[in-house]
Amino acid sequence: MDAVERANADRQKKWVKDQKVGEGTYAVVYRGRELATGRKIAIKKIKVGQFKDGLDMSAVREVKYLRELHHPNVIELLDVFSSKTNLNLVLEFLDTDLEMIIKDRSLVFLPADIKSWMAMMFRGLEFCHRNFILHRDLKPNNLLIASDGQLKIADFGLARDAADPGYKMTCQVITRWYRPPELLFGCRYYSTAVDIWSVGCIFAELMLRTPYLPGESDMDQLKTIFRALGTPTEEEWPGHTKLPDYVSIGQFPRTPLRDLFTAATADTLNLLSKCIVYEPRKRISAKDALNHPYFFALPYPTHPSKLPKTIAQTTAAASRPLDEVDGNVDLNSGAGPGATAAGTAPPKKLKRKLSGHDTSRNIARKLDFTAA
Amino acid sequence: MQPPPSPDVTSPAKTPLFHSSTQYKNWRFSTEQLRVTRTALNEAAIAAIRNTFESDSPGSSSDVHFLDAHEELLLVKLYITKISQLCGHFRFPEEVEATGITYLKRFYLKNTVMDWHPKNVMLTALFLATKTTNHPISLESYTSNIPRTRPSDVLDLEFLVAQSLAFEFAVWHAHRALWGLWLDIQELSQAPPHEELERVYDTALQHIRTSRLTDVELIYPPSQIALACLTLAHPEIAASWARSKNAEAALEAIESIKRTITRDGDIPSVDVVREIDRRLKICKNPEKVVGSKAYLAKKAKEDSESELKRMRKADNVRKAVEQGDPFGEELAREANLDDDD
Ligand SMILES: Nc1ncnc2c1ncn2[C@@H]1O[C@H](COP(=O)(O)OP(=O)(O)OP(=O)(O)O)[C@@H](O)[C@H]1O
Ligand SMILES: [Mg+2]
Repeated sequence: MDAVERANADRQKKWVKDQKVGEGTYAVVYRGRELATGRKIAIKKIKVGQFKDGLDMSAVREVKYLRELHHPNVIELLDVFSSKTNLNLVLEFLDTDLEMIIKDRSLVFLPADIKSWMAMMFRGLEFCHRNFILHRDLKPNNLLIASDGQLKIADFGLARDAADPGYKMTCQVITRWYRPPELLFGCRYYSTAVDIWSVGCIFAELMLRTPYLPGESDMDQLKTIFRALGTPTEEEWPGHTKLPDYVSIGQFPRTPLRDLFTAATADTLNLLSKCIVYEPRKRISAKDALNHPYFFALPYPTHPSKLPKTIAQTTAAASRPLDEVDGNVDLNSGAGPGATAAGTAPPKKLKRKLSGHDTSRNIARKLDFTAA
Repeated sequence: MQPPPSPDVTSPAKTPLFHSSTQYKNWRFSTEQLRVTRTALNEAAIAAIRNTFESDSPGSSSDVHFLDAHEELLLVKLYITKISQLCGHFRFPEEVEATGITYLKRFYLKNTVMDWHPKNVMLTALFLATKTTNHPISLESYTSNIPRTRPSDVLDLEFLVAQSLAFEFAVWHAHRALWGLWLDIQELSQAPPHEELERVYDTALQHIRTSRLTDVELIYPPSQIALACLTLAHPEIAASWARSKNAEAALEAIESIKRTITRDGDIPSVDVVREIDRRLKICKNPEKVVGSKAYLAKKAKEDSESELKRMRKADNVRKAVEQGDPFGEELAREANLDDDD
C-alpha cells in the first residue's frame, strides 16, 4: 500500500459511521462518532465517481475553505478521508438549524435571543470576510446550531475568494429570498456586502418568524424588495440603472421599517437598515456591525446555552444511550414493564419532548420484545 | 511617515491569517527535511519495485538502473515548465498556474515518479487547480486541447492527487504578496517614476516565475519570496520599502532565497531529462502500469480481499436475522444503504 493510501486508511479508522440523518443535493449525511472518544460527529459523504468533470465544484469549495477556517461560529471540518469513490467530510455534529428553530411555532423568541444569534452570525461572517472569503449562500437553513446553542455558518459549497476589484464573478449565487438587489440586476463585480444583505434578511426573519422578502421569481424578488423598501433613487444608489440586467420595475414608496417591525427598538432597526442599504458600498461591514450600539444596549444577548431549542435538539441531547433517559419508563407504561428505571415521574419537560420522537420508541419496543 | 494600510499579504493585518493556514502548518519544510523526505521516498520505492521484479522473475532487478532522488526532482522540474506552457495555451490566470505548480511539487513529497509518472500527474494537478481557484473548465475541453490525452488520464488520478495534498487546496502565493508590495512601493516618498516602477514590478514577477522551479515555496513564506524577488529586480526600492516598514531585518532573511532562485531556477536540459525518462520506462513500478502482469496480480488480490469483506458482512447480517436478533433487520437495511464502502 502507498504511504498516501495508508495515511488515508489510518484516518478513516478514527471515525465510525452510524446512521443516515439527511441528504443534500450532492451528499448524504450520516451521524457517527470518533472511535477514541465517542464524540458525536457528522460524516458528509460525497459521491465522486458520478461527475464527468471529476471532483464536484461544491465539494472542492467546501473542502478548500473549511480546511482553512477555524472559528467557533464556523462549522468545524475535523477530517477528510476517502472510501473507494467517495469523499467523506468529517464535521462536528450539529443538532439543528436556524430555519427549524424559526419554524417551530412552540418557541418564543425574546429580543435578547435574536441579539445572541445575530452576534454569532456576525462573528462567524466577520471571520470569513477577514479571510477574504465570500459565503454567497447565507440563509437560515445554512446556519446550523450546536447542542450548546452556538450558531455555526455551514455549507461553503458556493463560497469563493473575494476577488480583486475589477474581477468578474457570477451573479447566480445566493438563494433568491436572501439575494441582494445588485445581484438581481446582474452585477458581476461585487463584494462582502452581498453576504451582509442576506444577514439583514435573516435578522428581519428572526423578528417576523416568516421570510422577510419572499419573491416568487427573480423579477418578483426585485418587486418584493422595492415594495418593502421603496424603489431606489439614483441618489440612494448611484449607477444602479446602468447595471447589466437593470429593468425599471415601477415606483414604490418607501415605508418606514417601524411600520412592520412594531416592537423593535431604534437600535435594532438602525442596524437592520444598515444591512439592507441599496448601495452595496454603504452597507455596513461585519466588523462595524459587531461594534454597532445594538450589541451594547440592553437587553444583553442571551447566553447560547439558554437559547430556544427545538424538540429534536432537546431529545438529541437527552435520549442516547437509552438507559440514560430516566423518562423512558413513562412512555412505555402502556406496553408493559419494558425498561424499568426509577419509579419517580419523569420531568414534565422531558416527557413532552420524548413523545413524538418515534425512533426512540421503536427501539424501546424492540427491547421489550427480546426481554419477553 | 507611516504608509497607508494596504490589503497586502505582508501587512500585519493579514499575516496572522497566513499563520493559521494549512500551508503554514503542513507544507513548510527545511532544506534538510526536503532532502530526507525525498531520499526516503526514493529508497522505499526502489526497494518495493525491486521486490516486485524479483518475485516476478528472480534476478531480474539486478541490472535495472533506478532513478535517484535528484533525478526524480529534475523530471518533476521539467513538468513544472509544461504547466506554464499549458497555462499559456489555455490563457489560464497566474493563480491557476502557480497553484498547479504547487500541487505538483506537494504531490511528489508524498509519492515518487517511479510510481506515478509526472506527465499525467501534471495534467491532473493543473486541472484540479482550475477548480480550486474557481476557474473551472470542462474536462472534455481540457483534454481535447492536449495531444494524446483522454479524460480518464485525469479522472483516474484526480482523487489520488487530492488525497496526496491532504485535501488542502488553499495556497498562498508569492505573486499575490508581490502585488501587495507593489501597492506599497507606489506610496513610498522617494518612489521612482511610474514607468520605472512598472518595469521593476515586471522584472520581480519574472523572478517569482523562476522561483516556481525551485523549492523556495516549500521553505519560505510568500511575503519573503516576494521581497527577495523585488530585491533581485531593484535592491534600492526593496531596501526603502523595508525601511518604511521598519523591517530591515527582513532583508537579511531573504539572502538564501535569492541564492536558491539564482542557483536552481534554470530549466533542466532536455537531453538529461530525456535520458532520465528513458530509464524510467524500465524502472517504473509495474504494479502501477494498468494492464501489466503485476498490476493485474495486485488488483486481483485487492478484489478478493474486499469481496471477502463484503461476504463476511452479508453473512453477519444473515445470521443475525436468522437468530431473531431484533437489530438484524435494521442492520440489513443499513448494510444496503452502505453498499458502496
Ligand atoms: N454537521 C451536521 N450535523 C448534523 N446534521 C447535519 C450536518 N450537516 C448536515 N446535516 C444534515 O444533513 C442534511 C443535508 O445536509 P447538506 O449540507 O448536505 O445539504 P442541505 O444543506 O440540506 O442541502 P443543499 O445541499 O441543497 O444545500 C441537512 O439538512 C442536515 O439535516
Ligand atoms: Mg444547505
